[in-house]
Amino acid sequence: MTKPAEILVVDDEMGIREGCKRALNRLGYPVDLAEDGAVGFRKVQEKQYDLILMDLMMPGIGGLDLIKKVHDIDPEIIIVVITGYATIETAVEATKRGAYDYLPKPFAPETLAVLVKRGLEKRELRLEARRLLHEREQRLLELAGEQSRLRTIVGCMADGVLVTNLERQFVLWNAAAVKMLRLSGTDEPGRPLSEYIKVPSIDEALQNILSSKDAGLAMISQEIRLEDPELVLMAQMAPVRDEAGTLLGAVTVLRDITKLKEIEKIKSQFVSMVAHELRSPLAAIEGWLDVVLSGAAGDDERKKEAWLERAKERAHSLLALVNDLLEINKIEAGKVALKMESVQVADIIRKLVDFLKPEADRKALSFTIRMPDALPTVQADVQDMEKLFTNLISNAIKYNVDKGSVTIEATVDAQYVGFHVRDTGIGMAPEHLPRIFDDFFRIEDKRTSKISGTGLGLTIAKKIVDSHFGHLEVKSRPDQGSTFSVFLPYQKRTK
Amino acid sequence: MTVTAKILLVDDDPDFLDMHKAILANHGYEVITATSGGEGMERVRTDMPDAIILDLMMEKHDAGFSFSRQIKMDPLFKRIPILMVTSVAEATGYRFSLQEDGYWMKTDDFLDKPVKPEVLLERVERMLKKSREAP
Repeated sequence: MTKPAEILVVDDEMGIREGCKRALNRLGYPVDLAEDGAVGFRKVQEKQYDLILMDLMMPGIGGLDLIKKVHDIDPEIIIVVITGYATIETAVEATKRGAYDYLPKPFAPETLAVLVKRGLEKRELRLEARRLLHEREQRLLELAGEQSRLRTIVGCMADGVLVTNLERQFVLWNAAAVKMLRLSGTDEPGRPLSEYIKVPSIDEALQNILSSKDAGLAMISQEIRLEDPELVLMAQMAPVRDEAGTLLGAVTVLRDITKLKEIEKIKSQFVSMVAHELRSPLAAIEGWLDVVLSGAAGDDERKKEAWLERAKERAHSLLALVNDLLEINKIEAGKVALKMESVQVADIIRKLVDFLKPEADRKALSFTIRMPDALPTVQADVQDMEKLFTNLISNAIKYNVDKGSVTIEATVDAQYVGFHVRDTGIGMAPEHLPRIFDDFFRIEDKRTSKISGTGLGLTIAKKIVDSHFGHLEVKSRPDQGSTFSVFLPYQKRTK
Repeated sequence: MTVTAKILLVDDDPDFLDMHKAILANHGYEVITATSGGEGMERVRTDMPDAIILDLMMEKHDAGFSFSRQIKMDPLFKRIPILMVTSVAEATGYRFSLQEDGYWMKTDDFLDKPVKPEVLLERVERMLKKSREAP
């Protein structure tokens, strides 16, 4: 102890008080004195003492009472009772009540010194014991906190977690696991795995882990397909070992990868579709070149030239297809890259009509444009608007009949500006309408077989309109033409 | 070439129709064409071709299969040899061969698009020879 022990002497006999003080001061202990129980008690309340020497027979508060009162304040204070021979039984009683020892009067200073020293050592031990006890309690508390924290963390995870012991009983799981595996009866833990879980592959894999003699086995990772609910799960299962490497159980983490699988499937379908769409024109081009080069179909120069022309047309349409694919990719990848500005769409449409006129003239089509002068502007990307209306107007031209007409009108309602592109063309049957925005969908019949197209024009149109928070509507009947309506939201002038 | 034969081409891609027609016509074959399975069936009934070159991928993706099945199930037409051509091939993960798929595809030969002119001619000739020799 770095600080010398504080000692209090409580005795109504001044001789004893002073004698003790002198003897203890000589040993280096600071000593306070109290002439009766009340004063002594007050001092204990004011200051922390390590050891108290007290007379049992005092006026006012007696020694026995004082012992209790002092220990109420600090149970580890060492109390040594000073007593005459006549009251030795009382002294024994005092030790029963918590006094450390007693010192019969009269006593030699050496006896006092030995007793005080021993008492203080005892005090030291008791304090140490109390500190250790406190520490242990703290650790237990922390442990309990750690466990509850762990449960909370595991509980909050979107991935399912299952922990099993060596007997393949559940010891820890979370709500996500209950939901994914439709675990039942988890309110009664401790029963074998198979009573909760109806997925044999998990049971098997756990069995493998738990029965494996291989200490190096780190993890089993496998995909699990469930029928009910219809899910694809990625299960990672790993053995749990203690520091010595002894197997304690296994932990299973389940991730719901159903969405991921769907996306993968869609992606692979798209890739296979694209591959086919690219392969057909390429095969045709190679075929024509082969025909010309091999001379297998004759050597007529004019015919050869016509065949090369066919190859060139296919190459051209292939290029258009690749451009459209890039366009789609651009729209899907870069919604943030849109350069939004205030755009007067009517101006764009007028320019496009001028640009597309030569194509329309070949079919002797007439154009009618009915758009009010003061249309509200919309927030849009100019290039996207050009692409959108090019696709719609050139469709209206391509699928039109000779000497037909194309009408473009604009309307305004409370939220949207509408642009309507109407043709007098071949139209579409109701059963085809739901699919016209699908990738590569083209209506194939006698009349469309001569019309070139990538099957992506309307896909692109739809994506552009979507990315501008608008909507695209179509009305069509076979032989009665089609009307494509684009509705784009506009900001009303607040002033 | 000893006997000229009448060959029906069924394909929804006009380029392949015209291309194969040019090659075969240049070698003395009489060529008739159809752009769909339905039209092809019609031509089979009216023109009774000696061989059929069929595209697997027509308007519906299995149109080629159902067309060839229809021919091979019909006692009148089942002797007409069919050469299946397609561009489905490896690019889309499918791969057909006569040895492995001939039994259910009900065709007599199978080629990937584009078909080399000399290969097309050779296969057509072989097919016709085999069907003439058949009892």
